[in-house]
Amino acid sequence: MTAPAAPVTRPRATPDPSESREPLRRRRKPSLHGTLSRVIIALIVIVQVYPLAWLFITSLRTEDDFATGDPFALPKAVTFDNYARAFETGNLGMNILNSFIVTMGANLLIVLLGMMAAYALQVLGFRYSKFVRSLFLIGIIVPVQIALVPLFIDYSSINLLDTYPSMIIPLAGFALPMSIYLFSSFFEYIPRETYEAASLDGAGPYRIFGLITLPLSVNTVVTVVLVNSIFIWNDFIFANTFVLSEELKTIPLGLQNYIGAMGKTDWTATFAAVCVTITPLLLVFLVLNKAMIQGLESGASKG
Amino acid sequence: MLPNRSRLSVLVFLLPPLLLYGVAVLFPIMQSLFLSFFSWNGISDMEFVGLTNYVRMLTADDVFWRSFFNALGYLAICLVLQLGGALLVASLLTSMRRGRELIKTLYLLPAVISTVAIAFLFVRIYSIEPVGLLNQLLHWIGLGALERPWLSDINSVLTAVSAPEGWRFTGLYMLIIYAALLSVPQELEEAARLDGASRWQLFTKIRFPHIMPVWITTTIMATTYGLRGFDIPYLMTNGGPGQSSELLTTYMYKTAFTAQTSATQAPSPCSSSSSAWSP
Repeated sequence: MTAPAAPVTRPRATPDPSESREPLRRRRKPSLHGTLSRVIIALIVIVQVYPLAWLFITSLRTEDDFATGDPFALPKAVTFDNYARAFETGNLGMNILNSFIVTMGANLLIVLLGMMAAYALQVLGFRYSKFVRSLFLIGIIVPVQIALVPLFIDYSSINLLDTYPSMIIPLAGFALPMSIYLFSSFFEYIPRETYEAASLDGAGPYRIFGLITLPLSVNTVVTVVLVNSIFIWNDFIFANTFVLSEELKTIPLGLQNYIGAMGKTDWTATFAAVCVTITPLLLVFLVLNKAMIQGLESGASKG
Repeated sequence: MLPNRSRLSVLVFLLPPLLLYGVAVLFPIMQSLFLSFFSWNGISDMEFVGLTNYVRMLTADDVFWRSFFNALGYLAICLVLQLGGALLVASLLTSMRRGRELIKTLYLLPAVISTVAIAFLFVRIYSIEPVGLLNQLLHWIGLGALERPWLSDINSVLTAVSAPEGWRFTGLYMLIIYAALLSVPQELEEAARLDGASRWQLFTKIRFPHIMPVWITTTIMATTYGLRGFDIPYLMTNGGPGQSSELLTTYMYKTAFTAQTSATQAPSPCSSSSSAWSP
């Protein structure tokens, strides 16, 4: 995709810097290239964002308007009936609460255990640490579907099917490798001297963990929590496999109830329900988005 | 290594994570592998059959091969959209002065939406009755001949179910590549510019080689997530029409959890595809 865009601009972009040998920084970018890249960026952003805006607009349409009207047009009349129907049909409040419990539980495990494993591997160190590390890292590439059948068998033999832990355990387990990877690459950047100084002062591994490593890792914790929350909040496959009862259904399962509940799907109410369920995560994301982007970027440039 | 550590302290920190990982990931994989050598319908006694399951899957199961190639097609589309789109936007972003933060946020937005919601959304985008966004757009720009029910046309359905997955995570990879591009030393680019390097040369000779390690990491990430792809095809078409959008993952899931008659096959696709997927 990049290839066609760049050569087009080349003929006009090159002569300037080569002829006048002055620092390019001082002048404005060549206008053709600048305009072109802005147009491309704007187009891609529209493709990324418009469907979401459309989702919201549709949730405010009347059913007739949706069924007959031009999909790009603004709604003829704004109605909140869809939201009322959305709350009547499903149990959105409970779905959100369940998603919240599962996300919190899994995140707690992912952060705490991920940090502990990274501490043992990166800071404490031991003879087989290389082997253990690669054992963990294998988990990044294992497809989750492979564990579904065995987990289902195991859960049913210990009566764990249809519980919160049945979702939390595999969600946390499969997210653990990435968390360990992120924490390890962060711990690498804590200077050795810090630990040595603390050791000389008589601090053991537990105190060093609690007083040095833990407080320094706050940013990484935020990144790990946010990235994982996105996946866990929206997890479909584990919830769909292990949860049967209505009271434990998380958001993705709750949303499925809207499809064809009465033979015909009430699309505007469905979209209203989607909007309601997106909101909590979206708010958190928009508030903490800067911290997350920074965390992702710093993790990446080290990798 | 910390001077004052004891063997006990290593175990205290290492065992809990290892336990969770073992229970949730390692043990089930072993079980899957183990079960794949048996014939078992979940109720009666298990019977050891050796490699029979594998042989049957590889030689007698057309759906397996169909879904295998579909999965490759799905992967290819996801990679092009995610990595191509990510690289394009990231490179363009570095030359922008204002609004970078806003664009990064907007671009990442689809990653927050649940796959179920995305599946609903794209079902409506592709729909023809009432006319969805895509068909309407084609109509406007004069490509009305291309209008079709994208999800029930066997020629377009695989592309149609792959695109949402690509769309969803482009922003994530863009962020990573963008961060890598920012770390390219300014002096190097400056020097190349003074020597008269074009933008294209600058990109191919300096920037891209510099971000190569990150690019490889990102490709591995995108590939593994692409091979894991399940939710969107499962929810949008459930592999249909026929098997034209069946992926290994959806086939695996359906064999294991919906088709009672072929329960014996279940473990075999699981484990063999896992061995195919771990390099």
